[in-house]
This record gives sequence, C-alpha cells and structure tokens, in this order.
Amino acid sequence: MNATAPLKIYQPEATSAIEMRDFNAWFAEAHILRDIRLSFRENRITCLVGPSGSGKSTLIRSINRINDDVGNYNCSGEIRLSNQNILASGNDVAKLRTRVGMVFQKPCVFPTTIAGNVLFGIRHLQKLSRPEKQTIVEENLKAAALWKEVKHRLQDKASSLSLGQQQRLCIARTLAVKPEIILFDEPTASLDPLSSRAIEDLMLSLKEKYTIVFVSHNIQQARRVADDLAFLCAGKLIEYGSSQQLFSNPTQEKTRKYLNEEFCDC
Amino acid sequence: MSRQLRNRLFLLVSSGAVLLCTAILLFLFSVITWNGINALSPSFLLTASRSFGAEGGIFYQILGSLLMVLTAALICLPLALGAAIYKSEYLKNARLQKASAILIYGLNGIPSVIFGIFGLILFVNILNTGISWFVGAIILAIMMLPTVVLATFQAMNSIPEIYRESARALGLNHWQVVTGVLLPQGFAGAITGLLLGLARAIGETAPIMFIATAFSGIEIPHALNEPVTALPTHILALAQQATDPRALQNAWGASFVLIGLVTLFSITGLISRTKFKTVSQR
Ligand SMILES: Nc1ncnc2c1ncn2[C@@H]1O[C@H](COP(=O)(O)OP(=O)(O)OP(=O)(O)O)[C@@H](O)[C@H]1O
Ligand SMILES: [Mg+2]
Repeated sequence: MNATAPLKIYQPEATSAIEMRDFNAWFAEAHILRDIRLSFRENRITCLVGPSGSGKSTLIRSINRINDDVGNYNCSGEIRLSNQNILASGNDVAKLRTRVGMVFQKPCVFPTTIAGNVLFGIRHLQKLSRPEKQTIVEENLKAAALWKEVKHRLQDKASSLSLGQQQRLCIARTLAVKPEIILFDEPTASLDPLSSRAIEDLMLSLKEKYTIVFVSHNIQQARRVADDLAFLCAGKLIEYGSSQQLFSNPTQEKTRKYLNEEFCDC
Repeated sequence: MSRQLRNRLFLLVSSGAVLLCTAILLFLFSVITWNGINALSPSFLLTASRSFGAEGGIFYQILGSLLMVLTAALICLPLALGAAIYKSEYLKNARLQKASAILIYGLNGIPSVIFGIFGLILFVNILNTGISWFVGAIILAIMMLPTVVLATFQAMNSIPEIYRESARALGLNHWQVVTGVLLPQGFAGAITGLLLGLARAIGETAPIMFIATAFSGIEIPHALNEPVTALPTHILALAQQATDPRALQNAWGASFVLIGLVTLFSITGLISRTKFKTVSQR
C-alpha cells in the first residue's frame, strides 16, 4: 500500500476526552507535526508509537501546552477538551495543566520530603489544613501504589527513593492535583524491567478514573497496556485504531513493519 | 618535543604554580599568626582600646566590624535575590543578558576606594548623613552585591529545565515556579555568596574609612547616623604609630583576629556550598 493512500479515520465508540483537529506544530522553520487528526477516548490508554524524532513528545507536550514555554515553538489547529479549544488565546494554561497532568521520562522529584513532593502542586492551588494534607498524601500514595513502601518514612528525602519509586511519587503528585487526563512521555524509559512493570500495572489501574495518553518506544509494552494505538512517523499520523486491530491487521505496510520491529523508513 | 615530555613539563609548571600560591598563603598566615598570637588574650578581645589603640583591646572594633558587615548582608540578600530572579527569569533578550553580565562584572571590578569616595560624596556631602555605620553597611552591601548576585544566579541557573517543567506541569504559574522552585535553590546560593562576600567586606578599609568609622573613643552606636570603630581601620591607625612597640603588637593581634574572621566566613561559605546539596548535583 502506498504512503499517500487516504487515511481511514478511526471512529471510536466511547466518548473522546481529547480531540485534535488539523493540528500542526513547528520548531522555528521545521515542520514537526502535520495535520494531525486524532481523538483520545475517555478512560482508555492510548499509546503513541513511532521512530525516534517522529514527533511523539511534541504531540503529547502540546496537549498540556508545556511546549508553549519552549522557544521557537508554534502550532496551529485545534485541540479540544470537553468541547473547548485549549489553544484559544486567553486560555489559562496553569489551569489547563491541573486538568491535564504529565509524567516525564526521567523521574524528577523536588528536593524535599516524600510527603512534600505529593503536596508540591496541590498546595499551590489551594490552602490545606494539616489533616487535609495527611489525607491527600495517603490517598495519592495509595493510588500510585507507593503507600506500603513509604508510609513509615514520609518525612524522608524523596531523593532517597529508588528511581522506580521516584517515578511513582511523580505520579502521586500528579494525581493529587486531580487531573482528568494524564500524559506519560516514556515513563519507564529510565527504569529497570521490574519497576517498569509496576508503572504499567499502575497505568492499567488508573484508567478507570483517568484518560491516559502514553508514549512508548517499547512495542511489547504498548501491546501489554494500550487500548488504542497511534502510529506516528516523520510528523504524520500513519495509522490510528484499537491496539488489537493495529497489531493483528494494520492497513498500512509501515505500521505492520514498525510493530513487527522491522526496519521502517518514513 | 615529544608528547610525553610536554605532558611532564605542563605538570611541572602547573604544580609549581599551585605550590607557589600555597606557599605565599601559608607564609602570610604564619607571619600573622606568629606575631599576632602573643597579643591575643581574653582581655584583648573583650576590652575597649585605650591610648589610640596602644593599650587595651579591640572589643568595640570587632563589634563594629560585625555590626557593619552583618547589616550589609541583610541589605544585600533581598537585592541579590531580586536581581538574580530578574536575570534568570525575565531577562530573555540575549543582548540585555550580556549587558547585565558586563554590568555585574564591572561593578565587581571597581576599586574599593571609589566606593568610599562615592559614599562620601553621595551620603556625607549631598545627603548630609554624617559619618554613619549604616552608610558604611550600605556601601559594603553594594560592594558585595555582584558576588552574591552571581552566586545566586548560578545556583538558579543550574537547576535543570525539567524541574521548572515538572512544576509547571502541576499547574504552577510563572511566579509560583519562581517562589517554589527557583527561590529555595537560589537562597542556598545566596547564602554561599553572602559568606564569601562577607569574607571580603569585613577586611575592606577604603570604602568605610571616610564614611563610617572613627578611630577612637567610640563604643556601640545608638543610632543609624553614628560612627563605629572597625578592625581594618583600627589596624591602619595602629600601623601608622608602628614606632610604638605596643601599638605594633596590637596591630598584629588585630590583624590576626581579622584574618581569623575572614577565614571563618570563607570556610563556612565553602562548607555551605557543599552542604546545600541542591538539585543540580544529582
Ligand atoms: N526544543 C526543540 N527545538 C527544536 N527542535 C526540536 C525541539 N524539540 C524537538 N525538536 C525536533 O522535533 C522533532 C520531533 O521531536 P520529538 O521529541 O517530538 O520526537 P519523539 O518522537 O518524541 O522522539 P523520541 O522517541 O526520541 O523521544 C525532532 O526532529 C526534534 O529534533
Ligand atoms: Mg520523545
């Protein structure tokens, strides 16, 4: 099948939490993302896959507009969240980011205690009493599957945790802000296999309450956790569909090659 | 020349330079210690000077110096934090960045006597403050400013971008990122810078001798516009009567105490630098 064949638009049956329409992004003159049309289903895990440099991070980082602060970044088109275009000028980005949380590739804990890290975002957003703080710390560490390991050392330095634990702590502090959507940009790339599995299990348990968008380089990982799959290559969306369909019966030759971990030039 | 020979030669020259520096420093320290330690006694540290310093101790000189430099530190800290935040967060234009760097290094390079003259003209002559320890503290604060701004800025600038990004991703606005992420780290840098700045300021004579200090008969100031006595100006006065062996003895003693304070500030500064293990070291 040739590369210019018209893309079959995937029509998801569940309501979509995020819709991207004709989204384009540039860094200076470089056209990084081209005419992306994508919707992310509510309470599903959508995994973005594609070769390095294909624009996965750029795409995911556009959804919480964290790219806005990077120099030379520019975009056009629409990204709709509960039917509002978040790219509209005058939109409160700080508020948007409380609705769309993000977990990065490298766990990045702040130089404070474990409890302090859980509260880091939320305490800037609202005033909290002591008991409220305790509840928030406990609830979110539990939700991030970290409570059992750290409940006796909440006042220890967060940097004393293992990398895998630090990543779960980052997830806990993201949950504390009560987002609707969580973006994960290669959250297990710097972790060992066992810690990676813990994060995967965590994502699977989180999708009950949150919509998850997830970038991965690891095709087996995508197979394990993704409900939907979007394959990106050289800034274009090559194919999008349910994970099952893309793995068993891709419409594009490129997708088949990439998902079979064969060489694929875009 | 063979490569090996060149390497050897380079090693020789650079270790020679290190040795020379260490030797000069050790020589200075030992001469001052050797001569100063005899003058040192509890009564020397705890009594007022008499007969223009030839008799008595240096209690009020120590107090005056500490009062001035610590006040200078308090004035300097908020200014340095503000300047460093502005430089790191709001000064995005590359040309202005460069200009600010030149300005800061320039300020650092101004000879200290110029600060003294500047203080004399602005405060004493124009603003009519009279000889005042507080004016001395202001001038010392301005002198310390570049050191502290740079230390603060470097601490803030060494925070990896991912920390700001993580904070923004949690919904913090620009100002909250500044206070929540940059300020704690900048503060650690500022303390280090302040201690190093203090180490320099406490030994300065020229900037304070015209505007802040008097030579004798001074105890603790009761108002902002009163003079103090200070260690470096006291040493200067004693050195001018060096024909009197008692004055000379006390000059060595005061020098020893001053060097001790400088060393104390420097070492605490260096320790604080390693102690505040901040995010950049990870
Ligand atoms: N800050 C930036 N300035 C300029 N170009 C950038 C910037 N960030 C990314 N790019 C470019 O945008 C393109 C897409 O990068 P992006 O990080 O989105 O790829 P990716 O798919 O996430 O790759 P990886 O799998 O390696 O993380 C690349 O060509 C990259 O060089
Ligand atoms: Mg990436």
